[in-house]
Amino acid sequence: MSWIPFKIGQPKKQIVSKTVERDFEREYDKLQKLEDQTKKLHKDMKKSTEADLAMSKAAVKISADLLSNPLCEQDQAFLDSMTALDTAMRRMDSFNQEKVNQIQKTVIDPLKKYSGVFPSLNMAVKRREQALQDYKRLQSKAEKYEEKEKTGPVMVKLHQAREELRPVREDFEAKNKQLLDEMPKFYYSRIDYFQPSFEALIRAQVVYFTEMYNIFSELTDQIDQAGLTDEQRERETEAKLSELRALSIVADD
Amino acid sequence: MEVPRRPRPSSCMLALQQAAAKDPRSSALREENDHDEGDPFGEETFGGDEELDGSLDGSVETSELAGMNATLSSRGSCSEESSTSAEEEAAEAKKKREEEEAAAKERAAQRQMLAIEELVHSERNYLRLLRLSSGTIRNNLQKLQPPPADLDSVFLDIEDVIDVSSRLLGLLDQKLVQPGDPRFLETLCESFLGLSSDIEAAYKEYLANYNQVTVVENSYKQKEALWNDVVRVIKTSAPEVNATSLSFFLVMPVQRIARYPLLLQTIQKHTEKTHPAYALLERTAHTSIALNYRINEYKRFREVADKYKKTETLTIKDKIYRLNTHSIAKKTARFGQHIRHETGMAPKLVDEEFDALEGFFYVLEHGILELLENVETYLYHLQGFLSCRTEEFDLDMDGEKAPICYKEITTALRQWILPTFEKRMRTLIRKPLGALRDLLVGPRNLIRKRLDKLLDYELIEAKSNLSYEEQDVANTYRTMNTLLLNELPQFTGVALQMIWSVLGTFSCLHRDLAADMEQLFQSFAQQLPHSSMERGAFREWAESAVLEGARRLETLCRSVEHTLNGPVVQPLSPSSRRRLKQLTDKHGSGKIYQVVGSVVGSRDLDLNLARGELVAIISEADTRGDKRRWLVDAGGPRGYAPSSKLIRYHQPTEDPPPSPQLTLPDGVTETRRHSYTPESQPMTVMSQPCFQVLAAYDFTATGNHEVSVRAGEPVRVLEPRDKRGNPEWSLVEARGGARGYVPSNYLAIAPRPPHH
Repeated sequence: MSWIPFKIGQPKKQIVSKTVERDFEREYDKLQKLEDQTKKLHKDMKKSTEADLAMSKAAVKISADLLSNPLCEQDQAFLDSMTALDTAMRRMDSFNQEKVNQIQKTVIDPLKKYSGVFPSLNMAVKRREQALQDYKRLQSKAEKYEEKEKTGPVMVKLHQAREELRPVREDFEAKNKQLLDEMPKFYYSRIDYFQPSFEALIRAQVVYFTEMYNIFSELTDQIDQAGLTDEQRERETEAKLSELRALSIVADD
Repeated sequence: MEVPRRPRPSSCMLALQQAAAKDPRSSALREENDHDEGDPFGEETFGGDEELDGSLDGSVETSELAGMNATLSSRGSCSEESSTSAEEEAAEAKKKREEEEAAAKERAAQRQMLAIEELVHSERNYLRLLRLSSGTIRNNLQKLQPPPADLDSVFLDIEDVIDVSSRLLGLLDQKLVQPGDPRFLETLCESFLGLSSDIEAAYKEYLANYNQVTVVENSYKQKEALWNDVVRVIKTSAPEVNATSLSFFLVMPVQRIARYPLLLQTIQKHTEKTHPAYALLERTAHTSIALNYRINEYKRFREVADKYKKTETLTIKDKIYRLNTHSIAKKTARFGQHIRHETGMAPKLVDEEFDALEGFFYVLEHGILELLENVETYLYHLQGFLSCRTEEFDLDMDGEKAPICYKEITTALRQWILPTFEKRMRTLIRKPLGALRDLLVGPRNLIRKRLDKLLDYELIEAKSNLSYEEQDVANTYRTMNTLLLNELPQFTGVALQMIWSVLGTFSCLHRDLAADMEQLFQSFAQQLPHSSMERGAFREWAESAVLEGARRLETLCRSVEHTLNGPVVQPLSPSSRRRLKQLTDKHGSGKIYQVVGSVVGSRDLDLNLARGELVAIISEADTRGDKRRWLVDAGGPRGYAPSSKLIRYHQPTEDPPPSPQLTLPDGVTETRRHSYTPESQPMTVMSQPCFQVLAAYDFTATGNHEVSVRAGEPVRVLEPRDKRGNPEWSLVEARGGARGYVPSNYLAIAPRPPHH
């Protein structure tokens, strides 16, 4: 079209007031921070549960390997102890698995879902920005014609510029309003959304540690020497090591 | 925020901001330039920029600036007004940034102050409730007839805790510094550090004896009448607090000591490293953790000492010491086979007893090495767990109970409870096993040496007359053999005992870990809304709550996508306009659709389409009748596209619409044409005083009945339809009085300019 020699940038009148723009940016900043933190928490929780599972499996391996070693079979008391240890470890592992499953369902999956909303939101903000740019451009263009001498061709072009502008302006205003509405709402929704997750997370651990206490109290009574402090244990261990070191076969000549 | 992710307002603005940011000199330069220019750039004076180049020195900044100015004016985006307002905007942008930084600092300072106040305020509240329980409640309980048993033991240690807490607050009040004052933080930390040994002493005893409190309270609960009285007393003594048990108050110290680390760490989080009290704050936070560590250790120490003072069952200990590997070994001849396979050599002299002992030794060795490796793996994963600090998130939910409780629990778990466990694992399990493994070397080597000697010995054994060397060999072998026979059983026996006790310790460590966590959880039991629910019921609630949340999220997502990611409303590029015209001409404007998102074809005859592209619909289903796959014309190529990605395109009136056929009076039926989309208005040609009618496009008459008009030419409408009543043609009077028909859709209404 011959009446557009070059692209026009800034319109004369301010399309979006500074306060509104600042509010918009502030809300969006909050959402971006929320996005970062949810992603981080999701990642940390995943890593944490992986380590948790690995730890439990390692504990089971400790007792399983020992039990399968012929060492155990030689003395009934020792065998009973090792069997009890193995049983305890396996039970703990299954409780741990249950705990992790609960956490996966009530914490990790919801975290991921929540993060999944942000790409759409970010895209919507981009689109609003694009719409704003188009709006500004067409607004400028229309303003150009408003200032010119009102000849026939100018009037026609002005009219057409306004026609072009209208849908774009409406589009921007709709997008802008929607986002200004939705962003705070979404930000606020995090509270109700995550409340059950945290409660479930705590509860899962309470259940797990309660089981752990029951299982290991019983086991400890069965296989551990009663009434030893840490220092006493260390001293006993040291005594045994000294006994071994005193043997001639141990000293490597 | 150095690199913003969101789109920047306008690249012109950005360029100017960058210019402003680069160097204050460049903005000064720009000011100079404007001065020099006199008549700054506008649409007409593109050439003015060359003057710029000449007037400036060849410095990098200025050439950049000139380049930038050239770009700016070639874009024409800076008209005369905006060049000065550009500086204003740049300066304003800078000011805005500074303001924002200041605001952010202000907010951080606010948060820090809130965190400090939280600590102090909660301490005061805590102290108040403790005093209430140990004073009013206790007195009222004592007045009950009969007074509850062991009441004194329940309140035994609380006085020390009350004392140390009031001293802490006292120190703060004494200094007469307000929380807003930066010195307050310093005072707080110093007071805490100063009192830390007293805090440790008081809480140590309290926590060590806390189990007793629970025991006594449970005994009260057994007697219904007594318990009802107790609850009544509590409710009347403290009506504003929602408490239904003694432990509500008495568990508070357990919780409080565990809370200091999180409170202090929160303050630390919002404190600048440059703050004068930062180092002190850090030290205080560390101290609070160390306190918890030591208090826990003491608690355990006392547990063991108290509980097991009256121990009778030493049977396990007996069993360990009775372990007689000598007798064990004798039973198992198959260990002999084991050696033969390993060494590949078969000594002629088979000493069954020795073989068995040796075999047992190898089995033991294998067991120890495997155990050590497994323990190391366990510790490795434990460290992995400790390193993902899930308590360090900030979802801006610090006012909510559940996340805060989770943070406190996890802080406790990761910062002292698990570290204690790890330390004990290393000291009491890993280290002894490592030392034991190291001691295996000696016997192993000796056994190998013995075998060598045995082989030598076999060669000379039968001889009657031995040389000195040969006697020597024989003696060496016999000594070694005897030594090993005597000491190996001892070795394996003690080693086994060690393994057994290490495993017992392993179990004990787990029990202690669980006990620590249980005590921690007790202090939160009252705070969480659903904590009284049964396991199964709670799980159901949690899972359904999560599902509900997911559903709401989905609704939100859909609404965002629907409204905001709608069709692209954009004026068309020239090529798009051509495509539009082409398609409209061929198929009619009712069939024009726009592609909402880029389409990549997967099957034969599928098209690849870009977002925003215009296509015309040929068929709303494919050859198999699938309505999700539409046959479209993309301005040449034809093929299939998913209907979900197509949306009706409504054209603004830009192109000259196709002119209707002029109907000749002799009865040729007119063909109806779609000249407008339904959305656009038909031209209502009315002669209102404030409007005038213009020809919007050039029109050249093609017959006697028509008149030529030029675009922009005002016309007077005589009749808005032709002789047959067809509204597609209007009878107008053009400039110069010429009359004739023009297509109605070539006319436009415009406001009449004022001077007409």
